[in-house]
Amino acid sequence: MTELLGIYNYWIYIILMMIGFYGVIAKANLIKQAIALGLFQTGIFLFYISMAVVDDGTAPIWTTVGDGAVKALGPYDNPLPHVLILTAIVVSVSVLAVALAIIINIKWSYGTIEYDEIAAIERATEREEGDADA
Amino acid sequence: MSEVLLVDSVLLFLVTVCAVAIIEVRSLYAVAMLSSVYSLLMALVWTNMHSMDVAFTEAAVGGGISTILLIGTLVHTRRDEKPAKRRLHLPALLVTILTGAALIYGTFDMPRFGDPNATIHHYRVPEMMSQTVAAVSGREGKQQPPEGYEAPPRMTPTAAEWAGAIHAIDEAEDTLRAAQHGAPGLVDGEHHEGAAEEHHEGAHKHPVDDFNGHVPNSVTSLLAAYRGFDTMFETTVIFTAGMALIMLLRRRREEGEDDFSQRGATLSGQVILRVMTKMFIPFILVFGFYVITHGEIGPGGGFQGGVILATAFILYALLYGRNALYRIIRPRTLEVLAACGVLLYAGVGVACMLLGGNFLDYAALNAASPGDGEAMGMTLVEYGVGITVCTVMIIIFNQLAEEPSNPSRRRAGAKAS
Repeated sequence: MTELLGIYNYWIYIILMMIGFYGVIAKANLIKQAIALGLFQTGIFLFYISMAVVDDGTAPIWTTVGDGAVKALGPYDNPLPHVLILTAIVVSVSVLAVALAIIINIKWSYGTIEYDEIAAIERATEREEGDADA
Repeated sequence: MSEVLLVDSVLLFLVTVCAVAIIEVRSLYAVAMLSSVYSLLMALVWTNMHSMDVAFTEAAVGGGISTILLIGTLVHTRRDEKPAKRRLHLPALLVTILTGAALIYGTFDMPRFGDPNATIHHYRVPEMMSQTVAAVSGREGKQQPPEGYEAPPRMTPTAAEWAGAIHAIDEAEDTLRAAQHGAPGLVDGEHHEGAAEEHHEGAHKHPVDDFNGHVPNSVTSLLAAYRGFDTMFETTVIFTAGMALIMLLRRRREEGEDDFSQRGATLSGQVILRVMTKMFIPFILVFGFYVITHGEIGPGGGFQGGVILATAFILYALLYGRNALYRIIRPRTLEVLAACGVLLYAGVGVACMLLGGNFLDYAALNAASPGDGEAMGMTLVEYGVGITVCTVMIIIFNQLAEEPSNPSRRRAGAKAS
């Protein structure tokens, strides 16, 4: 039981990633796809942070006592994954913002943000151009 | 079973339910709200795993900014997803299940959750942790490397090496003074001697292990020192995202920058909202600056504080309209400030080089007390990050909230064809 619970976190990260993956493949709505990509990302974040945890660990912040000396409270969680994910979250919001800006431009250009409708418009345009060339 | 795992399993179950709902709900407004809930749940998960800085960032970014950006986008696009032909996309389901199964098979080789003997807790961790906090009293509380583990050569000087370096400087000063005494008339001896004496005393006032306790938050010290280059270029990525948004969505520049009268719907009719929010804004600003400034002491830092500062401005713009915001900060100022943040970060690095250290070697900023130098350099760098993040978030919001005043140039062409 404990063995299984020990890797429970890793399973949840896989499930979250796969939910996001499913959204990216199955959903035609571009905003939905951008959000699904975000779900995929949080799955990976969860994987990293789970690896950082130590039994009975505390947040990796040193405690200073009265005279400024540093005191260790016990085992600390590994701070390195925290650093990586901290910056990754802020970068992910930048990625989301750029994706949304591109989606807005697509909306202005095609009048829709559904992938299949965009593809249909593209095909129709290509066919007409082909006719014009012929 | 540890309490971390117990709380964890409940929270992660909720997160998973939330994720399924995000994918399946068709109203995109509901999806935006659900993704905000999802982020706040995630912030709780991070807190439960003692990852305070990440929780802070997730709550500010995922719960706050992302939701605003999504809603800002929905104003431009359709509010509902088109109903799908099939409820379940079978090929996608098959692919995800297969990939998931392969990954789950891989997890059986992973170390148990919280296993203190996992590789990640040993490889170079003691070196990274001691980069700023060189001599930690009560070190026995930390995990020790397993038997037979040999630490790789240390790149940063240890406390003993610093002590040696400071001692060497002192000796050199003594020699110099002796030489000056031996040859009177070379320099005006008395004045110089006084200054040297003062400096000498100053050097002794600081204890040798001066790294101790200056940057207690090891997340920040890793962020700014061990991964300083990484953080600098992440800041550049954010800056680039802001510029990309401007290029993708700005069209109105040429129509006269000062004409802000048309911009932005307001909620100014909502008296309660307006009064309450106006009271909140100063506190949000103070909190934002606190989070940036105390980044090296407690949870927080430039990324989180920058986002919190940005929310104050965005809240103001939501209530009083973006023309009111532009009266406080002009768009041009925002862009210049965003660049200044990145420059401040890189500038601190260059300053360290000019003072004789390596790029981003903050200890060089204060030779007498390397620990103070570290703390000062990191605070400056955090401010650089904070300025860039704050201004870029406001820029992104402004660009997404821009009304499509010239709708569908190409759409007309596409429809006609």
